[in-house]
Amino acid sequence: MTAGQGAEPRVDSVVDADGGTTFELPPGPDEEQRLLLRLRPKKGQPEKVRHVLDLLPADEGRRRAVLSPDLFLAEGRWDVYLLRAPDSGRQRLRPGLRDLRALVEGHLRDRPSPLAVRIPYVTKDGYLTIRTWLRAAHAEVEAVDVTDRAATVTARLHGAGLLPGAAVRLRLRGHRETVHTVSLRAGDDGRAFSFALDYEELATRAGVWDAFVQPSPDAPPIRIARLLDDVANRKEVFVYPPATVGDAVLRPYYTVDNDLSVEVAQDG
Amino acid sequence: MVWATMKISFLLHNAYGIGGTITTTFNLAHALAERHEVEIVSVLRHREHPNLTLGPRVSLRPLVDLREEREHPLHLRPARVFPSAEYRYRQYSELTDRRIAECLAATDADVVIGTRPGLNVHLALQTPRHVVRIGQEHLTLDNHPPRLRHTLRRAYRGLHVLTTVTEADATAYRRKMRLPGVRVKALPNSVPDPVLPAADGTAKVVVAAGRLVPVKRYDLLIEAFALVAAEHPDWQLRIYGKGEQHDRLRQLVTDLGLWNNVFLMGAATPMEAEWVKGSIAVTASNFEPFGMTIVEAMRCGLPVVSTDCPHGPGEIIEDGVDGRLVPVGDRDALGAALLELVRDDEGRRRTGRAALENARRFAPGPVLEQAERLIEEALAARSGGYSVVRERPPVLGSLASRGFAVRDAAFTAAGTARRALRRGQR
Repeated sequence: MTAGQGAEPRVDSVVDADGGTTFELPPGPDEEQRLLLRLRPKKGQPEKVRHVLDLLPADEGRRRAVLSPDLFLAEGRWDVYLLRAPDSGRQRLRPGLRDLRALVEGHLRDRPSPLAVRIPYVTKDGYLTIRTWLRAAHAEVEAVDVTDRAATVTARLHGAGLLPGAAVRLRLRGHRETVHTVSLRAGDDGRAFSFALDYEELATRAGVWDAFVQPSPDAPPIRIARLLDDVANRKEVFVYPPATVGDAVLRPYYTVDNDLSVEVAQDG
Repeated sequence: MVWATMKISFLLHNAYGIGGTITTTFNLAHALAERHEVEIVSVLRHREHPNLTLGPRVSLRPLVDLREEREHPLHLRPARVFPSAEYRYRQYSELTDRRIAECLAATDADVVIGTRPGLNVHLALQTPRHVVRIGQEHLTLDNHPPRLRHTLRRAYRGLHVLTTVTEADATAYRRKMRLPGVRVKALPNSVPDPVLPAADGTAKVVVAAGRLVPVKRYDLLIEAFALVAAEHPDWQLRIYGKGEQHDRLRQLVTDLGLWNNVFLMGAATPMEAEWVKGSIAVTASNFEPFGMTIVEAMRCGLPVVSTDCPHGPGEIIEDGVDGRLVPVGDRDALGAALLELVRDDEGRRRTGRAALENARRFAPGPVLEQAERLIEEALAARSGGYSVVRERPPVLGSLASRGFAVRDAAFTAAGTARRALRRGQR
């Protein structure tokens, strides 16, 4: 390979079912090197949150760093860098193989609170980043059935239980006070639930409705999302069909954060 | 066996893209570089680094850098050496003609290996006499348009060795083309040893991969998967790749109400980490010159359900042992074969283990040995002063090949007449 490519080591990653993450780098120079994870700041904001991992010797001169499942990374995108000898700066790393098979059917296990999810993924420009979620509780979408008149969502609660008075709340984005309440049908275990979004009712107000479940009248609302598999960027992959009601077009969709929302657009 | 060190030069269309030919050339070059001096000459270059990682001992040399030379006056003029009937003709030019000719004239390699028909033509015409010329066909003779076959029938006589990726295609060349003095031999594509542990057959995921183009029949696959989803709604189909059919396939998924089961995942390179997330791999193609993804999936421990299309799948999969072969274009048969493996956990795992075992013959080691032997024999024949081992076609074959030649020539003449007519109408 050309020298340019050789200067950019690729880092392999393996994620366990419980989120424990192992990084492996090819053999490197003798100097002490470490891995740096940094929470990507909002545009124009300074970088504040970093986490440094030691690189330990592994087989065949390779080097390994372990991110324990007990360490809760803040929700966001963590870019991965190699820290070379002191003061010689940092180098953004490209991904090698990402073995995420343990995550694929992650929705089948009930999770404790807080719910922490890590999915290493490749950025558009080809670098390794870890997508993280950290939530006190979580409602995982399992299926969405769509007809011309309604969308029926089947979901499961993790890190909380449904109590009498539980309901789904749709909150109009940009208008926190505008809330549309939808009744839910709870399963016997207090975790599984489903609800139907009546398009006729939603069509009256254009905008984006963010979906939450409130497990009891006093509990804080829990975002309904789909986080428990290996898909870091779901928006373009899990796509639900639109429906037209009057002059409104409605479509459930996943946001860039894999949260479930419903878009209501006025046609034309 | 210990061979003398050789200098081997591959001539590739564009080492910076994605595709089966690029992958397999990189793999073979990397394996040969263990003992030999190996370079890849890439006719075109459009980005800084290749998409695929090339072994450190293989050197890479581009001839035309499109980032700077797209508007080169010579690049705006049509190619004259690169045959006009070749699929990639429009990407070639007087500039590529000239650079390839210079490169071949100046080569210090013992062996040059072309990797597509048009480049094989360059090789046959422009390589110095003392250099061994090996043409590789990654497509198939039967699928070449008659005009291209007509060109190749003449040009390929200038090669020493012609390799195809299947026995079926090698047979077609021997039967339908008269190539005296040219050794025609099947050399399968190789797939490197997987790095990750094999799939364990438990995930309820079926995986397919390839460009989203009509010949891959993802429409048929999605319809077939509807049968699986109806009986086993907890199973999903993941299709990796991008292409012109994306929106049409998304619409089909919507029309069939399969949005909870069928996912267009986008492209993934390398595929290894994606294969091991699945328990079954599938291909619905109408045509697979080889079937690289089939071998890749098998090497990751997945049983593969494939259409028995020409030419590759039937030479890779043993039906009922390490995968399933179903008739081309038969949605119900494809769905039934998938369902059989979905329903039977133990059968699926057993078939997957057989796939892992049987696909070892496509590991770089065994394929490298075949390639090395082929090159060495061709070299020995050259330095011995006699022609490369001749595989003289039987008289009948010779007559038959003449019949095919006449037909292709007729097609070609008719095509020329049609084109002349069209020009006249403009």
